Amino acid sequence: MTNIRRKRLKNGINLYIHPTSKFKTILVQLILHRHLKEEDVTACSLLPSVLQRGCGAFPTRQQLAYKLEELYGSELMADVAKKGERQLVSFTLDIVHDQYLPGEGDLLRKGLSILREVLTDPVLEDDGFKAEFVSQEKEQHEKVIQGLINDKHAYSVERCLQEMCSDEPFGIFKYGSLEKLKVISPASLYAFYRRFLMESPTDLHVSGDIDMEEVVSLVEEVLDFERADVMNIPATLVKKDVAEVRYISEELDVNQGKLVLGYRTGLTYADDDYFPLLVYNGILGSFPHSKLFQNVREKAGLAYYAYSRLEKHKGLLLVSAGIEVKQYEQALDIIRRQIEALAGADINDEEFNNTISGLRNQFLVEEDNPGLIINRALDGMLAGRDEDTESLLSRLDAVTRDDVARVAEQVELDTVYFLTNKGGAQQ
Amino acid sequence: MNKVLENSLLKEKIFWQRIEPGLEVFVLPKRGYNKKYATYATRFGSIDSHFVVGGEGEELVVPDGVAHFLEHKLFEEEDGNVFDRFAKLGASSNAFTNFTNTAYLFSTTANFYECLEILLDFVQQPYFTEESVEKEKGIIEQEIRMYEDNPQWRIFFNLLTALYNEHPVRKDIAGSVDSIRLIDKEILYKCYRTFYHPSNMAIFVVGDVEPDRVIEQVAKNISLRNYDQLGEIKRIYPQEPKTLAKDYVSMELVVSQPVLNIGYKDSETGYDGERLLRRELVTEVVLDAVLGSSSRLYNELYEKGLIDDEFDAGVVSEKEYGHTIIGGETEDPELLYQRLQEGIGRAQKEGISAETFEHHRRKMMGGFLKSFNSLEFIANNFLAYHFRNINFFTYLDVLADLTLEEANHRLSDHFSADNQARSLILPKKAQ
Repeated sequence: MTNIRRKRLKNGINLYIHPTSKFKTILVQLILHRHLKEEDVTACSLLPSVLQRGCGAFPTRQQLAYKLEELYGSELMADVAKKGERQLVSFTLDIVHDQYLPGEGDLLRKGLSILREVLTDPVLEDDGFKAEFVSQEKEQHEKVIQGLINDKHAYSVERCLQEMCSDEPFGIFKYGSLEKLKVISPASLYAFYRRFLMESPTDLHVSGDIDMEEVVSLVEEVLDFERADVMNIPATLVKKDVAEVRYISEELDVNQGKLVLGYRTGLTYADDDYFPLLVYNGILGSFPHSKLFQNVREKAGLAYYAYSRLEKHKGLLLVSAGIEVKQYEQALDIIRRQIEALAGADINDEEFNNTISGLRNQFLVEEDNPGLIINRALDGMLAGRDEDTESLLSRLDAVTRDDVARVAEQVELDTVYFLTNKGGAQQ
Repeated sequence: MNKVLENSLLKEKIFWQRIEPGLEVFVLPKRGYNKKYATYATRFGSIDSHFVVGGEGEELVVPDGVAHFLEHKLFEEEDGNVFDRFAKLGASSNAFTNFTNTAYLFSTTANFYECLEILLDFVQQPYFTEESVEKEKGIIEQEIRMYEDNPQWRIFFNLLTALYNEHPVRKDIAGSVDSIRLIDKEILYKCYRTFYHPSNMAIFVVGDVEPDRVIEQVAKNISLRNYDQLGEIKRIYPQEPKTLAKDYVSMELVVSQPVLNIGYKDSETGYDGERLLRRELVTEVVLDAVLGSSSRLYNELYEKGLIDDEFDAGVVSEKEYGHTIIGGETEDPELLYQRLQEGIGRAQKEGISAETFEHHRRKMMGGFLKSFNSLEFIANNFLAYHFRNINFFTYLDVLADLTLEEANHRLSDHFSADNQARSLILPKKAQ
């Protein structure tokens, strides 16, 4: 059983330690939280790439990469994610544990030092970041924004969410927009960076075979940079009435149509009714035994993939399937009938029991992956749900069919998005 | 008494046994993990489309995509499907097919030994009906359509059709919409009889389990089925010339910018075992030294905006074929191609230094150690290497044994203009 130890560092960073001896690595994740908003999101998602271009001690990308590799292929990765209406920027350091490397004894300290350098000692010029780094990374970022379309599945899901939440912060693309990117300068990005580092609520997670006291004193020493009071991040908008279902279809020259349905549930990980919703989603579409896989794929043979998933901090449920364009009506009809079946409490014993067992399995295997251990702690922190596996399992076991029927009433269709081929519009 | 493979640096042990009539079972206990993962795999992949049917002497050419189709249908049973039986026990099950193997797997945190029994039973009890074979065609057609819209997949297979003239590695693993229409239950049964004999298969179990109990259970299940001995499977591969089929292939798709892949075909093939692993690892060291994230060439290209951080290089080493592929998205595939030629040429002239060689070896050692966090990685890779007569635990020893001379020889030998083909994806112009 994982147990988390917490401590607030002197500069206000929240340290979470996840001691476990089963991994070969130590995983460090520094996560900075921002409110998802139009004016910041582009700079915020561009920033980590500029920081990774070099720092005082390793002033080029090549030198920084070489230094990290020297530590037995340690990796420093930056990522931008969206959870509810927060943008999360994470810096992840994945290091082999010394005990597997005869003659090594200080990899964690060396890795953390590089992380600090990258974060706090960027290469500067005049009144901002080094101009060359910024202009090159802006070009790269432009390609990232435009590149969404290269993965048609990811594209269709993102497009559905954008349409569905077009007047909510959640509809903002996590990589921002080309318009905002254009006006970013080395000076404006640097000004943003100062605020970003000083005022963003920040968590530091360390997972691996480590000693609590040693890690605390190590990070107090290495990550001792100055910070101000943290900013307040507004709560995510969760309850929203749907006036009328919206139907959007978009034409591209594709071989397969992608159907995405966006539903509102009004429930997040912070609600105790999240657990019945999790079971609802399991019965609907997160397993091979689920209604969507069984009916859209196995019975009707319409799709290779057909699933549902939850956005647990925004209270959304998404259904997604890849289908032949001309089978849009039939697929949509089958999907809606599965939702209706759940609303009518048409759930057999097998679906219910298999879902509970499958979800138990998912909770338990999270403990076998350092990244998932950290992610669960992060979700818990965002939702104010500080619970270990045992407690999560007992919540799951307490869910009844009546609970599932109760949350089913709250699931409301908002948007139907269809990516179709040229000339294949449905309406 | 079970045999043991040990690796002192990894601090891992594998217990194994060969069970009559020839099934190899491997168990790696991972204390403290909740998950238990088991895979049951056969040496039957998409390239095995021409063979002599087991026990019958009939020489058969099957439609492309049969191995993958069979994988889908093996989950079907007379009274339902196997997914449901695993689901009842809280396990999740799946399978995959690649060029050379098909693997069936499950992972679970409860009821492990019951799940193992289901895995053993369903893989050994095919149940194909005309109706279910027909229905599956619609599902697999959508799987193929999904990949048709995937630029990475398309550029990869287009490149293989340029590198290879005859060898079936040039064909899509799932076959084509037309080829799968030709598949029927008789063909599936013939493939099954040929390739799903225990002597052509292996099992790998990893997690907090008891090795003796696992091996005993497998032995018991197999012994009850009274298998005959199977002679050698006759797989017939066409003679693949050393030359390329084409040196250039391109296609238009809906993408935001072009994609370039360059492939280098291995001409010296026909061997497996440690020699093959050695070739694979030395190629990886060379690729990382010349084109990896800390190389001069990579950083020049990155700063010019010709590549992004997804730019990648990888090597495939099979007994029957081998190739190296490098590439990624780029705004200017012609210029990138030129610069790569120049950069690789420069590296060949200068040679890799002893320091750079050691640096990349050390990085690969760390990468190997890290990957042992993942049960799936361990099991899937161990069997993939085992099927090429390679003991995956020797990875670090072979890596340590490589020489700088070997690396420089590989660099000058493998990356030559005569065995190099290009594949491009270009953005489809708006109509």
